[in-house]
Order: sequence, then C-alpha cells, then structure tokens
Amino acid sequence: MITDPNIPDPDGFYAALVAAHEGLTEAQSAELNARLVFLLANQVGSQAVLLDCVAAARKPFAPE
Amino acid sequence: MAEQPVWTGGYELPVYPFVPPPELADGRPRRYRIVIVGGGLSGLTLACDLANRGVESVLLDEDDTIGVRGASSRGIVYAQKTLEVFAHLGTYPRIREKGVTWSVGKTFAGRDVVYSFDMDLGSASEQPPFINLQQFYVEWFLVDRIASLGRCDLRWKSRVTRVAQTPECVTVAVETPAGGYTLEAEWLIDATGVNSAIRDGFGLETHASRSADRWCITDVRFKERFPVERWTWVEAPFNDDRAVWQHLMGDDVWRLDYQMDPDCDPEYVSRRDVAEARLRAHLGHRDFDLVWVGPYAYRDHLLDEFRHGRVFFVGDAAHVVSPFGARGGNSGIQDAYNLGWKLALVTKRQAPERLLDTYSAERQPAAAENLRVTARTTRFLAPRSAAERTLRAAVLGLAREHAFGRSLVNTGRLSVANPYPDSPAVAGAGWSLPNVAITLPDGSRSTLAGLAQSVGTVFIGILYAPTGGHDVAGFAQLEALGLPFRFFVCGAGGIGDPEGKLKQVLHAGPDTFALIRPDLYLAALAPNARASEVEACLRKALCL
Repeated sequence: MITDPNIPDPDGFYAALVAAHEGLTEAQSAELNARLVFLLANQVGSQAVLLDCVAAARKPFAPE
Repeated sequence: MAEQPVWTGGYELPVYPFVPPPELADGRPRRYRIVIVGGGLSGLTLACDLANRGVESVLLDEDDTIGVRGASSRGIVYAQKTLEVFAHLGTYPRIREKGVTWSVGKTFAGRDVVYSFDMDLGSASEQPPFINLQQFYVEWFLVDRIASLGRCDLRWKSRVTRVAQTPECVTVAVETPAGGYTLEAEWLIDATGVNSAIRDGFGLETHASRSADRWCITDVRFKERFPVERWTWVEAPFNDDRAVWQHLMGDDVWRLDYQMDPDCDPEYVSRRDVAEARLRAHLGHRDFDLVWVGPYAYRDHLLDEFRHGRVFFVGDAAHVVSPFGARGGNSGIQDAYNLGWKLALVTKRQAPERLLDTYSAERQPAAAENLRVTARTTRFLAPRSAAERTLRAAVLGLAREHAFGRSLVNTGRLSVANPYPDSPAVAGAGWSLPNVAITLPDGSRSTLAGLAQSVGTVFIGILYAPTGGHDVAGFAQLEALGLPFRFFVCGAGGIGDPEGKLKQVLHAGPDTFALIRPDLYLAALAPNARASEVEACLRKALCL
C-alpha cells in the first residue's frame, strides 16, 4: 500500500470527486462512492494492497 | 427388490423390504469390519464404493425407501467430480439418461444479464460439468448398483439407538420392526445427516449457525421450454426484487426457488394459492402443475475433526453449508469417495490405520473452504445492512457496464473437486484429475476411471512419453514391492493419450511421472523422477 503522495493533482482529484457528488441524494452519493471503490480496486489489481487499504480505511472505527 | 411403491411429491418411490438380520435369529452379536449408518447420498456412495472395491459392509437405514418421505427432492445439481465418481461406480449411465445435462449459467438483475458462464469450455473430462436430477433418483440408482455388486448388507427399517466405543470396536444398538439387537463394528461411519444423534451423543461441537434468509422451493411442470440453463435472478421484478432460481430436473420438472421476505410466515408463503400466484407472476400464465412446495431457511455447521476414534463422519453429519453452489450433496459424495479406498486398503492390511487420519486431514479443510465460499454467496444474496445493499447495487450497476463488474456478482460458486494441497499424504500435488479419455494397453478406448476400475484399489504410476533415458525397469520393479501400485507407460506399448487430454490435465512434458491415487487425485507429479523418489512418494501417500 502506497501511503506517500502518489496522486498527480490532489486538489484537482478532490474537486472532481466533490463535483461528481453534486445534486445527488445521500443514497445516490453512497452508491457513487461504492462504484468508485470497485472501479479503483480493479485498477489496483493487487489483493494484498486491496486488503491493506480496507484495513487502513477501517482503522479509525471500532474493530470488527 | 422393491415392494409396492410410495406416493410422495408426485413421484413413485420404491419400498425395500425389512429382512430380519441373523442377530435376531440366534441372538448372537457379530462383529463387522465396516458399518455405515444412514442411506443418503454419502452413505450409499460409500457402501457402493466399498462394494466396488470388493470390501464388505453393513448399511443401516431407519427408513424403507430412498429420499425423504413427503419432502420431494433435496439436492438437484450433480457436479463433474460427482459424475466422475458415479462413472467409476457404474451408475453414471442411468444418471446421464434420466437427468438434465447443462453447462451454461446466467444471472439476471431485472431484465439484464449481469453474469454468465459456460463450464463446458475448457473441460477435459468425459463427464459434463453438471447434471440436474432429483436426489432420490441418484440414491435409487446407487441402491440398485449395490444390490447388483453384492457385498453390502443393506438393512432397512433399522434405527440406531445407541453407539458406544472402546479402543477395539464400536458397539451399536439397533431397533427394528422385529425387535432390537446389538452389533459390533471395527469402523463405524456416521452418514445420518444434519441432525446426527451419533455425533451429538459424543458431545462434539458443530459450530452451528442459522440464517435469517428465507426461501420457498416450488417444483412445477409446464409446457413451454425454457433454455436448459441455470438462471438466477439477484433481483427479480416478478418476486418483489428478491432472488429467484430456475433449474430443470428429471421428468420435465422445473425447480423454481424464490427468496422470501425474512419476516414472512413460512406456512403462508407455501400455501397452494400463494405459490400459484407467485408462479403466474413468474411464468405469465396459469398452465402449470404444482409438484411440490417447500419453504426453508438454511443453516451451517462444521465439525473440527471428521474422525472420532473408530467413528467417521461423512456428509451432512460432518458439515452443512447453504445450498448456493451445490456444495452439500456433492461434497458428501466426495467425502465417501475419499474415505472408501482408504478403508479398503486398511481392512485389506495394505496400509496402516493412520492412513484413515488423512480422511479428516483432507476433507475437513475442504468443508471449511466450502463453508467460506457459500457464506460469501449468502452475504451477496441477503445483504444485512443498508451499506451492504449499497455495495451490491454498485456491483450490479457496474456488471451491466463493465466486464470486471461481472466477476463480483456472486449467486453461487458451483461445487468443485476440492484440492488437498496441505494433505500429509500428497507430495506437491493433491488435485483431482478430470476423467479424461485414454486407451488401455490393449488399444481399447477407456478413461482414467476405467483404468482405475480395471486395476482395482491401487495407486497408478504413469510415466508420460519416456524419451529413453529413463529407468523404466526401475519403475516396473516397484510393482514387486508388495505395495498397492501398478505402473504404466503412456506411449508405445502402454496406455495411450489419443486426444492429448492426459497431457493437458497433468501439464505433462516428456518423462513426467504422475502418481495417481485410487480416488483419481494426483499424489505426486515429478519431471524426470527416479524410481527411488517415486517409491518415497508412494510410501508417503500410503502413510507407511
């Protein structure tokens, strides 16, 4: 899992993400995020990296 | 053998007579080598496999027919390894004739196909990927085959009431219409299913759990021909956007299985008029005959060990998974086929008793894998939270648009021959060989299962396409060690590989040596092996 900066234009990506959510209901936003997760996961293509990312995303919340 | 038939679920089932056993005639208890309790798929497969290997057994069943009275069929999908086992046992031709052969599956969300497969592509086996057939027919053919093979004392109307064991034997109390008696078994096989009293009597932990998901099976006959494919809907518009299964079985009976509201009343949803309303919504007409309606919820459990002293647990007594993926009956049959040859070699004193420990070492992890796989399907089909529903909606949406999304759609990963990579009795192999076409040394057309049947319960060594630099004589001399082993060259003067499929499934190059177990699993695969190495692999595979 890469934790050093690796997004070429972080502000541009954030802006595009925010824009993508504009005008959506909460449920639609949740589905958009889920679609994005699966699309990005397919780009990563490494099971070990994906599972590390799931664990890192879960980290601030209570353990399973 | 059958008396007057029983009418159940629209089918006529045979009735087998109770024959008073010799114990009731003279009151003298007897000791048998192998006693199997339970005449379902796994118990009958084991009895048939043992009989086919020339080993005697006693089978005790509390009923006097096959199937479950009044419960119509249970399992319907028989996967390739099961069909290969039945090819070996001799019941395959009847299953092929009576059943429905298929290989294509499609999954729908609404009206869109979001996933499909054709398992026939790339299959090297002489058996098809799947045949659908009512479970009781499969059991029926096994009973007939056992009767023609002999060597199995099939005792109907014989209910086991108590089991106790010492280091020397298992004592079994049996209740029959003509009174009770006791017998002793060197080895007892518990094939009594999910509610096994034998297992529970030993106080063994099963790690049982129950699902909130509810379904209702509707077996039905109707005129029009749907494609002979496995169709599943994740979200069916005609079933309140819940899941539906559509499968053809023997006798032109369709199995339609509907996912219900988890809070539904099982009695209400299985009422005839309610079931018929569901069918009209699905089929768009009312021209059908209801065969059987059965609501169910599923459960799972898994024993930590499939051997307890002199007792072995096979099939549902040892493990239960949700039905998605046909991993229940098929894995019970694989259990039996794994245990059969080991019991045969041990009772013939050709292998030490510790070979029997490899049954649990191989089949318990296989069952654990089946449980993992089916639990994932269950989770996809019955999301437990709004977040899970959102994830599934995203997958179904992506599956409509992109190929990668289809791989995430999970309506059941169908039964496979589980590999045994961590088995103490395999050397770097441990996967099942498809039943490929070969020719025997006399030139006749056969298969791997045919070769296994012709040589009996032995390991088969095959040296593939020897280039001449090999110690063929050394391999042949291994036959003289007194071990259950036969050696064949694949090439001039030996067996033949006319379609190149043996080469394909062995990933063989010239001088590859394959050591094949009696259950047609690969015990070892070695390029350029020496005879001494093969002997070491054989001893390891026999636990010598």
